[in-house]
Amino acid sequence: MSIQQTRNFCIIAHIDHGKTTLSDRLLEVTNTISMRESTDQQLDSMDLERERGITIKSHPVAMEYTAKNGQHYTLNLMDTPGHVDFAYEVSRSLAACEGALLIIDAAQGVEAQTVANVHLAHKQGLTVIPVINKIDLPTADIESCKRQLEDILAIPGDEAICTSAKAGIGIVEILESIVERVPSPKVMADNRVRGLVFDSVFDTYRGVIGYIRMASGTIQPGLGVKLMSSNKNYEIKDVGVFTPKMETRPQLNAGDVGYFIANIKTTAEIKIGDTLTEQRHPSDEPLPGFQEIHPMVFSGIYPINTADFEHLKAAMAKLQINDASFVYQAESSIALGFGFRCGFLGLLHMEIIQERLRREYNMDIISTYPSVIYEVLKTNGELLTVDNPAFLPDFSVIEEIREPIVKATIMVPNENIGDIMGLVLEKRGVVDHTESLDTRRVMISCELPLNEILVDFNDKIKSMTRGYGSMDYEPAGYRADKLVKLDMLVNGEPVDAFSSIVHRDKAEGRGRQLASKLKEVIPTQLYVVAIQAAIGGKIVARETVSASRKDVTAKCYGGDISRKRKLLEKQKEGKKRMKSIGKVNIPQEAFIAVLKSSAGG
Amino acid sequence: MMPLRHLYVHIPFCLKVCPYCSFYKERLEPTRMRRFLDALLLELERESGKRLLQPRTIFFGGGTPSALSASQLEYLLTGIRERLDLSALSEWTLEMNPATVSMSKARLLRALGVNRISMGVQSWDPALLSVLGRVHTAAQAERSYEILREAGFDNINLDLMFAVPTQTLAQWEATLEKTIALGPEHISAYCLTYEEDTAFFERFSSGLYAQNKDWDADLFEATLDRLEAVGYDGYEISNHARPGRECFHNLAYWEGADYLGLGPSAFSTCGAERWQNVADVQAYTSRIFAGESAIGFREEVDASTHLAERIAFGLRTNRGVALDLLGPWQSVVDEYLSEGFFTHDGARIRLTRKGKLVADTLAEAFV
Repeated sequence: MSIQQTRNFCIIAHIDHGKTTLSDRLLEVTNTISMRESTDQQLDSMDLERERGITIKSHPVAMEYTAKNGQHYTLNLMDTPGHVDFAYEVSRSLAACEGALLIIDAAQGVEAQTVANVHLAHKQGLTVIPVINKIDLPTADIESCKRQLEDILAIPGDEAICTSAKAGIGIVEILESIVERVPSPKVMADNRVRGLVFDSVFDTYRGVIGYIRMASGTIQPGLGVKLMSSNKNYEIKDVGVFTPKMETRPQLNAGDVGYFIANIKTTAEIKIGDTLTEQRHPSDEPLPGFQEIHPMVFSGIYPINTADFEHLKAAMAKLQINDASFVYQAESSIALGFGFRCGFLGLLHMEIIQERLRREYNMDIISTYPSVIYEVLKTNGELLTVDNPAFLPDFSVIEEIREPIVKATIMVPNENIGDIMGLVLEKRGVVDHTESLDTRRVMISCELPLNEILVDFNDKIKSMTRGYGSMDYEPAGYRADKLVKLDMLVNGEPVDAFSSIVHRDKAEGRGRQLASKLKEVIPTQLYVVAIQAAIGGKIVARETVSASRKDVTAKCYGGDISRKRKLLEKQKEGKKRMKSIGKVNIPQEAFIAVLKSSAGG
Repeated sequence: MMPLRHLYVHIPFCLKVCPYCSFYKERLEPTRMRRFLDALLLELERESGKRLLQPRTIFFGGGTPSALSASQLEYLLTGIRERLDLSALSEWTLEMNPATVSMSKARLLRALGVNRISMGVQSWDPALLSVLGRVHTAAQAERSYEILREAGFDNINLDLMFAVPTQTLAQWEATLEKTIALGPEHISAYCLTYEEDTAFFERFSSGLYAQNKDWDADLFEATLDRLEAVGYDGYEISNHARPGRECFHNLAYWEGADYLGLGPSAFSTCGAERWQNVADVQAYTSRIFAGESAIGFREEVDASTHLAERIAFGLRTNRGVALDLLGPWQSVVDEYLSEGFFTHDGARIRLTRKGKLVADTLAEAFV
């Protein structure tokens, strides 16, 4: 098929606006999969993705379509991750396309995430086709959606196609407009081999499968290729397309979207955004836009049962094979034993990894309070990056601590603006400007420390707005602030798992909160337990757990001796699993309870 | 062969099952009784064939041994006398429920060699007796006590219970005073424990009853103070006696001596062997008659376990534990001494008052 009959496009949508349902309808109408084979949500394969209604990773699909003009076309649908944590991956998927369907829920209107992704699409020079979906809902407001398209996104409202993916309305119109409006792939003239790697997965039997959009040239089995960022050589073993199953083809040509298999062992070798070229006649320059991915959020992950450390290690290695953006290294904590310091692209990414460890690998894990990467300027001029409060140098040698800032876009119903502005202030944010989207909603643009929105910010927006608010953010550099290290001490000894870097103004409150929570969960001991919160050696909060007054069995006779001894043994065994901080035994459950509750504020 | 010095006999029958009791017992069924008593005697015969039995103490516990009729008791005790060398016997205890004491029974027991009675009074307060589901009244318990004295028992223990749901400090003090006034040689004062598989435990689990350790501790301390003040030596956590009137049978358990238990659910320990008979009258009886072993559970008590038990249970007594047994735990002993949980006289370690209150936590270090 000629390149003039190829269209590469993706779908941009907010969570729940119907991306997956629409994708499925496109597959059905083009007979790529029959209705009979179709279970709902064809493209989302992981349970977790289905449950959350989001796509973390899915593969492209080639659809064959005969348009009303009588011509046959190949339409390559690139599914993109819908969340800002994966912004870079989204940008690489977009770079593999010429067009994007922008889906807007007719009842919800434009959401924060949509704005961010449309900006990405415009940056890539994509043709954006607006689709107003769910028009059959009684609450649908098509006119308002069109106005928002114009006002917020500067897209003419009358370009929008009105559809209901669920009811199958407007699907053919979408296919026709892809054919008409999305340009065919542009091809570079010199015919050298250049392929944009926009994703990869690991297959136990075939090794790494790279997803590729050919920008120029042709690849076929036997060709010697190399990845330009690592300069490593490979030999192509197989190429093909997704229909949606993997189907071998003799070759992939310029403009094609498909997969290639070479002797690549791990996904870490094949970086998203990298350029595949030919060994003998390599491209002079890689395709633009490649970046190394850096984690933004860090957290310790520990097995609840210390004996599970090796299992956890194996599980993490398996996860990383499929997700090179997830990084980890072994660390140990006095309180939690051996575990891993893990880096994530963002909060959702962190939650997904934790959930996958729990569900797919059956791991019982606890994670520590998440941290961002701080820049620490020492008095001697040295600049450190610190992602774990434990490694913060002594305060006497710190000139200043800088924290990562994000630019956030928050869209909320008018009546919630006061609450949300209050929340932004509470989170040390600065509101840049507000803007009315329509008669019902406003958009708040603000800057916030990333650290402050790590845990519950999004949840709070959702609960304050009864689910109508939405939020998105992008990194906006570093800024120095009055940051301090808060330590929790048990009988004078610091408990590393509870150390955190917090703003001076919030440190006391958080210290008090942690101390009172710890008092609740530390069982009474033989001795009085003092729980203190300290900022740089100065105690800011204190709680006391009184010593246990009575622990003695009343009756103990011949018949009870074995049972009683076993009870003592069991009780002792239980304490072995506790962490000893000085003479104080703290059960693992206490750490977990505190780490869980501190996630709430 | 060293003779076995301590014999326990389990009579697993009660008129009515108390809602807090977790010992193995059944409702009394008179028709099966003779066969059961024969099984006990047969088990005794078999055991005498295996080892030298020359008890210093015998303890009839339950259940309610006094739930047996006078003629049943006569049959059983006579049977035992015929089969055992009692030349070394100095203490023969039988547990009685106040509702099952009669002059004829008391005289009979005394005549057959029983010289110590342990009576489950629990409380002198009618309201609390009803909470505890006891079949006797306070007046009946007092009358039974007088009968026992008249029948010639000069060594009587009264069982009492504190931290009973709804019990006030005044009620407990009144029960203590009433008991002191009667002047038994021995008082066992137990803190109520919510044992699994009891009606009380269900009520506790459902939140109907609650436990407050501070309250338990207050009552416990009040008990120690009061009984000590009137000359009862708290020689074990829950046991108080006039000098020389300790229960030697129970002391034997706590000091790690060997003992033989007869009857369903009874435990025995001989050297490194510990076993328990099946906790089922029917199964016990039929196995004994079939010439089979009645053992339902066995355990090896190796040297280190035996040592752990000697320390954990020895610490509960005011004789304490010989310091040289504690060698491997020197640092723990030092810590507990300096924190005031332990005291010592150069040769033996004992719990202080503070230590008694948390004896279980302390004992953990040694198991």
